[in-house]
Amino acid sequence: MNRINENHIRVLAIAPSTRGFGFAVLEGQETLVDWGVKSVKGDKNTRSLAKVGELITHYRPGVLVLQDDSTKHYRHSARIRELGRQVIALASSRNVKVALLSREQVWRVFFANGRGTKHTLAEILAKRFPEELGFRLPPRRRPWMSEDYRMDIFVALALAVAFRLHKGS
Amino acid sequence: MTSTQLPNYLRANRKRLGLSQDDVAFLLGTQSGAKVCRYERLVREPSLQTAFAFEAIFQKPARELFGGLYQRIEQEVAARAKALTFKTDLRNPDRQTAHKRQALIDIAALNSKKLLKQS
Repeated sequence: MNRINENHIRVLAIAPSTRGFGFAVLEGQETLVDWGVKSVKGDKNTRSLAKVGELITHYRPGVLVLQDDSTKHYRHSARIRELGRQVIALASSRNVKVALLSREQVWRVFFANGRGTKHTLAEILAKRFPEELGFRLPPRRRPWMSEDYRMDIFVALALAVAFRLHKGS
Repeated sequence: MTSTQLPNYLRANRKRLGLSQDDVAFLLGTQSGAKVCRYERLVREPSLQTAFAFEAIFQKPARELFGGLYQRIEQEVAARAKALTFKTDLRNPDRQTAHKRQALIDIAALNSKKLLKQS
């Protein structure tokens, strides 16, 4: 007798980046189960993939969400695109469904006209999950600054929330 | 691969408060964060004393912190209550037995109701 509660189906969102990847695990629409950034050195793809594997083993997600790299707005490097493909293959081998969302689909969930900055998106998410992410909101990036590593968490969470809302609509 | 409730939500609650594993270990009165890591990674189940300590730290009931574990135990108890109800049926149904039988039916039904509500 092990019925599955729809609210407890977990969504694991991965946002690969130059450092490694950001991740967020969402249960239902409002429960943020885990979040963070995994930084790796050396063979980044192999090590990132191993860490994604650990997350899948631990959280047994129903769906893994990634950003769709086939759209023109996807500007990551070839190495990160390859990591995305490897993550999809890994998820499929573990019988985890994969959902790909384009940047436009994600942004349209949070902005009426589909336009906004990452920082504004992070502020929206920090307000939505104040206890978990309120104190992790990075400062607004200035032109001479590189992107804060914590932004990967917000990108991953945006993917997870957008997936949930797309599914609900 | 399917998702049910996780056995515990300790990591989420620890991160929510911005505490490290060593901080939680100190609050629990243990020596290192390694033990907390084992609780979080589901390698080790906590004692009753530790479960209450977690409840005090995170200000959430233990049945919520250990959601999946509680759910599993609740299902097992419900199954046993059902079995005991059938056993009780065979005896003479005096007032006390009828009262007990109703209590057992309620225990068994509570879990079914929850599952129905969830699905």
